[in-house]
Amino acid sequence: MRRPELTGVAPLFARECWIALRAPAFWAVAGACALLAVWRATGPGATAAIAAYRTCEFMIIGLGVVAVFLAGSAAGRDRRTGAEQLVLAKPEGSAPLVVVMRFCALWLSLVAIALIALAAASLSQIVFARTPWQVHPYVHALARAVLPIGMAAALGFCLSTIFHTPLASAVAAVYWIVIPLSRPHIAMAFDLTLSQHRVVAALLTAFLVALASALYARSIRDRGASSGRLMWVTAVLLVGVGVSAYQVATSGEDVLTGPDPVLAAMASQSIHSDPRAPGFWLADQSGRLVGMSDFAGRPVLLAFWGPAVSDSAQVLPALGSMSKEFGPRGLACIAISVDRDPATLSPFVGEAGPGVAMLWDRGRHFGEGTYEVDSPMAVAYDITALPAMFLLDRDRRVVMQAPTELSAEWLRRQVRRIVER
Amino acid sequence: MQVEISGLHKVYPGGVHALQGIDLTIPPGIFGLLGPNGSGKTTLMRILATLLEPTSGEVRVGGHDVRKEKAEVRELLGYLPEDFGFYPNLSAYEMLDYLALLCRINDRKERQARIEQALQRVNLSQVAGQRVGTFSGGMKRRLGIAQAILNNPAILIMDEPTSGLDPEERVRLRNLLAELAGDRVVILSTHIVNDIATIGQHLAIIREGVCLFSGKLPDLLGPLRGRTWIIDIEEDELGRVREEYFVTGVFRSATGMQVRALAETMTHPRGYAAEPTLDDAYVVTMKQEAPAREAA
Repeated sequence: MRRPELTGVAPLFARECWIALRAPAFWAVAGACALLAVWRATGPGATAAIAAYRTCEFMIIGLGVVAVFLAGSAAGRDRRTGAEQLVLAKPEGSAPLVVVMRFCALWLSLVAIALIALAAASLSQIVFARTPWQVHPYVHALARAVLPIGMAAALGFCLSTIFHTPLASAVAAVYWIVIPLSRPHIAMAFDLTLSQHRVVAALLTAFLVALASALYARSIRDRGASSGRLMWVTAVLLVGVGVSAYQVATSGEDVLTGPDPVLAAMASQSIHSDPRAPGFWLADQSGRLVGMSDFAGRPVLLAFWGPAVSDSAQVLPALGSMSKEFGPRGLACIAISVDRDPATLSPFVGEAGPGVAMLWDRGRHFGEGTYEVDSPMAVAYDITALPAMFLLDRDRRVVMQAPTELSAEWLRRQVRRIVER
Repeated sequence: MQVEISGLHKVYPGGVHALQGIDLTIPPGIFGLLGPNGSGKTTLMRILATLLEPTSGEVRVGGHDVRKEKAEVRELLGYLPEDFGFYPNLSAYEMLDYLALLCRINDRKERQARIEQALQRVNLSQVAGQRVGTFSGGMKRRLGIAQAILNNPAILIMDEPTSGLDPEERVRLRNLLAELAGDRVVILSTHIVNDIATIGQHLAIIREGVCLFSGKLPDLLGPLRGRTWIIDIEEDELGRVREEYFVTGVFRSATGMQVRALAETMTHPRGYAAEPTLDDAYVVTMKQEAPAREAA
């Protein structure tokens, strides 16, 4: 099959995006998501970080389900509107690249919906909670949601292409809900927001879209879902509904039905559930976003501290000296400041020295209660008090969680062991 | 440029034998495909448009095999299906623009010129910016014709193009098709005999997947010449005339009733000779026994 000439790819993609944006469903979903985002962002105790994470959470689950259906509808667009024969009789009508472009345009429209929802959450924070404008929690939330939404869309797109029925999309949607409702270990295994799962999610998405594009041209000759296929799809759908109903009925304190779904969802990223440390993407002093991937293949000494917790700044000189001694041998030192205001960490920058990445995670230090620290990263690393220090090996496995009272010599021994490994 | 079909069979899953050994050579010009509903016309057209795989037999469009050289065949084709729709949220212009890109008309100015010309030809220029979802059935059919001629196709396949069109648009379409034919192949399927009678140069008549006639219109009408009659009758005569003659049509005029009949000789006092029409030939052909054919 000949590919479209390069001059035709950009205008075709632009038309596909235009078609996706012209659909009334796009605006209906965007409006509903924006309203939900405002509601979630203005709940009690919602900081910008919490607002962003709550928005992210419903984007992944709620918008994920909608994405499955929208993608199913996009894959069956020609069949639904009756334009199938017109399109397929054209030279490029069934070209795999055109099918991939259709999927990418849909994904882009879903990301636009996520952006609208996050903008609504951010605006409502500023207007109702009077918080200063923060960009990084929302960028972080968007980055976490893009791939899961894309994968949900790829599932719907592929199943709809294979089975020729909206029921197939319904199956994917049901299982999309079943998984996070499952017991924590299942939810964790399928938690696509975890940065360590991203490669798998990206590969799976690419595979599903490639499969759909390969089957698209063939499927016209086998139009309509056969009754046997419909029966299979219905059976799988019913099993999914049954399993999800059972999960809801018996979940109790499970992930989504816990007292605070955000904290529960964040806790699912706890370091205890996976040998590797949760990834992150945080702003540094200059506002540049730094991710764990920037330190790939290097051992990492990661410290959490807070300007509001007076004795927690003691980790900074310790980090500085480790960076000075082991930095040339590959050690990366990261200090994550947990505070409401990034400006409060400025006076401390000199204490750590130039080799330490000073990052900021928006959150508060309560001093009392189960979770004394409420920043997303603190929840992800299961930190109950500041300071906290983690040593990660080259494979990002947590090999040591340092005690609060630090002995410089003990720390040096631990770091040397890992650096020389 | 011509279309060659030999020994074409199509059996649908479930055993329906839609085409039973069709052999046709379609030369440039307007080619009419006549047959009742369910005769296999649409199946044949879909196979020509590369949308259906034949079960057996060979089909070559402009020298390209429809099975192995789909992309090349689609380059040559303009296809108007019998039942179709458009994306309802797009305007007529946007819809044609999208389809033109799928036809590899990548140059923006050329695309614009082709779309405007196509819209003008089907008399839709005035509503180019209007959403297709608001179009009437006839307007959609005309937009369908516009999309089929976008890429200036060498072979134009139109399945029931006149259905849903008002008389004025029907005449306009016939004129357009006559204008487009020339060195192009225009294949027109219809169950409305009159559509073919006015513009068709060659035609084939299909019944139950079997080709009963294929050739030029005069060849079809020739055997009926000198055997076709019009008889002015009284209302109560109809039954007797039907028994006596092979009636191909009954008409009511201001003065009474007329029937068209076929007979070697005319004995009725008010019967007089008439020129055979395609209607007469169609009715006669449909009454024929199917010719002997090879088993599928």
